[in-house]
Amino acid sequence: MSIRRLLLLCVVSWLLILPAAEVRAELVVVVNARCGVAAMTRNEVVNIFFGRSRQFFNGVEAQPVDMLDTHPDRARFYSALIGKDVSDVNAYWSRQVFSGRAQPPAKVGTPEEVLKWVASHPGGIGFLELSKADARVRVVHELSK
Amino acid sequence: MSLVQVIESSRRRTAVRRAGFALILAMLTVSAAVETASPFSLQGFGTLGLARTTSDEVEYVRDLSQPSGIRRDWDGRLDSVLGLQATWQISPQLSAVVQGMAKYRHDRSYNPEIAWAYLNYEPTPRISLRLGRLGTEFFMMADSRWVGYSYLTVRPPGDYFWYLPFYSIHGGDLAYTHAVGDGMVRLKGFYGLSNGHIPLADQQWEIKGSPMTGVSVEYQLAAWQVRASYANIRFKHDLPIARELQAYSPDPLASASLLSTRDRRTDFYSLGVVYDQGPWQIQFMLNRIEQGNLALENSEGGYALAGYRVGTLTPYLGYSWVRSERRETTARQAIEARIMADSHAHQKTGIIGMRWNVARNMALKAQWDAIRGDAASIFPYRHEPASGRWSGKMDVYSVAFDFIF
Repeated sequence: MSIRRLLLLCVVSWLLILPAAEVRAELVVVVNARCGVAAMTRNEVVNIFFGRSRQFFNGVEAQPVDMLDTHPDRARFYSALIGKDVSDVNAYWSRQVFSGRAQPPAKVGTPEEVLKWVASHPGGIGFLELSKADARVRVVHELSK
Repeated sequence: MSLVQVIESSRRRTAVRRAGFALILAMLTVSAAVETASPFSLQGFGTLGLARTTSDEVEYVRDLSQPSGIRRDWDGRLDSVLGLQATWQISPQLSAVVQGMAKYRHDRSYNPEIAWAYLNYEPTPRISLRLGRLGTEFFMMADSRWVGYSYLTVRPPGDYFWYLPFYSIHGGDLAYTHAVGDGMVRLKGFYGLSNGHIPLADQQWEIKGSPMTGVSVEYQLAAWQVRASYANIRFKHDLPIARELQAYSPDPLASASLLSTRDRRTDFYSLGVVYDQGPWQIQFMLNRIEQGNLALENSEGGYALAGYRVGTLTPYLGYSWVRSERRETTARQAIEARIMADSHAHQKTGIIGMRWNVARNMALKAQWDAIRGDAASIFPYRHEPASGRWSGKMDVYSVAFDFIF
C-alpha cells in the first residue's frame, strides 16, 4: 500500500469515528437542588473538582463526588472541562495527597450512585449525562466540547 | 557462625521478607477497598530509577541530602524511592496523616523514616492548621519532590532544587484560602524546627533544631498558578570543618569564627508560574538564596520547562541554571578561601525527555540532562575533584518507572 493510500485510509476512518464521539449525550454538572446554587462558571467547577475551593459562592460547603477511572464519564468530564486526560488528573491528585494539601473527592462507579450522592449530601456536586438528572438535583453547568 | 546458624538466619530473613510482602499486599487490597466511606485510607508512591553520568570526576546527586552520588555506571540510588501514607479522618474537621519513606539517605542507608506525622484541623473550609512533623514548601512543589508520578520530569530540575535538603520541620503551618473573582488566593505560613542532616564530605552537618520560618502567597485562576514565597533558616550548628581548620589554619579559632554558620540566617526567595491547560504543561521558576554567613555563597537559580501531551506520550524540554556569587577572598587564609570556594556553583542544564503514561497510575520516563558549567562549579556534586580534570560539563542519562497506588 502506498503512503498516500494509507494516509487517506487514516483520514477516512478518523472522520468516521469523529461524529460518533460527538453525538454522545451531553455531560452536565449537578448540585443538590436545595444548596442554593443556580449556576456555576467553568472556573468555579474547576476550583471545586480540583480541591482549590471547598465552598460554593454562598458559603455552603461543597461535597464533590468523582467517578472511578473504570467509568468512561470520568475521562469525558475532565477532557471537556480542562482538556486533561485521566492520568493528568491522577498525577495532579498525587501531588495534593502526598504533599498533605488535600484529599481527592470520593469516587463512585455509576451515574446512579452520583445522583444518590448529590441528592443525599447538602453540598453535593457531581457530573452525569443530562438525561440521567432528576428533580432532586439542579443542573448548574453544561460542558460544551 | 556455623552453617546451620547461617541457614536458620537466612530462613528467618526469608520469613520476615515474606511477611513484609504479605503485609504490603494486604495494604494494597485495603487501599483499593476503602476508596469511599471508611475513615482510614492508605496510599503510596514509588519510583524505580536508573541513572548514569558521563564523568568519573564528580558524583552527581539529586540534592544535598545524598552523601554520595552516581558516576558512569548505571545506578539506582539517585531516584529510587518508596513511600506509604496513611490518613485517618477522625472527624469532618480533624485528620491524622503519617507518611513513611524509604530512599537513599544521609547516612548511606535505605532505612525507612517517618517523613511526616501530623494532625490537620480544618475548622472551616477556608482554614487549615497542621501540627506535627510536616513537609515544607520552601519553593513551589518542594513538598512533593519525591512523588515522581506527580510531575513530568524524572526528578525536579537539579539546578533549582539540589540546594534544598530540608524536608520536614517539627512545628505547624496555617493556610487560608479566599476566593477573588473566579480565582483562589491562598496564604500560608509555617514555623518549626528543622529535622535533618546535610552530609558534607565524610561528616554530617547537623541541621536538626534549626528554626525555620516561611510565608507564601499563591493565586490560581483557571489554568494559571502563580506563587511567591519567602523562607529562612537560622542554623543551629557550624559546618563540620573544625578538623580541616585545626590542621591547615594558622589560627583555627579565628577561621572558625569567620566561617561560622551558627545562629546565622539564610534567606530563600522564590517565584513560580505554572500554566496547565489541555495538552500543555509549562513551568517557570526563579529563586534567590542569601546566606547570612561567609562560608556559603549567595546564589540565584531558575528553570523553564514545557511539555506537550500527545495521547499517552508527553515529550518535554527544559532549561535550568544556577549561579553563585564569589566572595572576596584575597585577604583570607588559603584554607578559608578553599572552604569558601567549595560552595561555588555556576552552570546551566538543558533537559530533554519523554513521559509515557504506560498504564493506569504508572509512568515510564527517559531523560537526558546536558550540564554545561564552569570547572569551579562543584557545590552541587559529591567527591569534589582533586585531579583538576573536572571540566564542569557532563551529561546525565536517566530512566524511571513511577507509580502510585
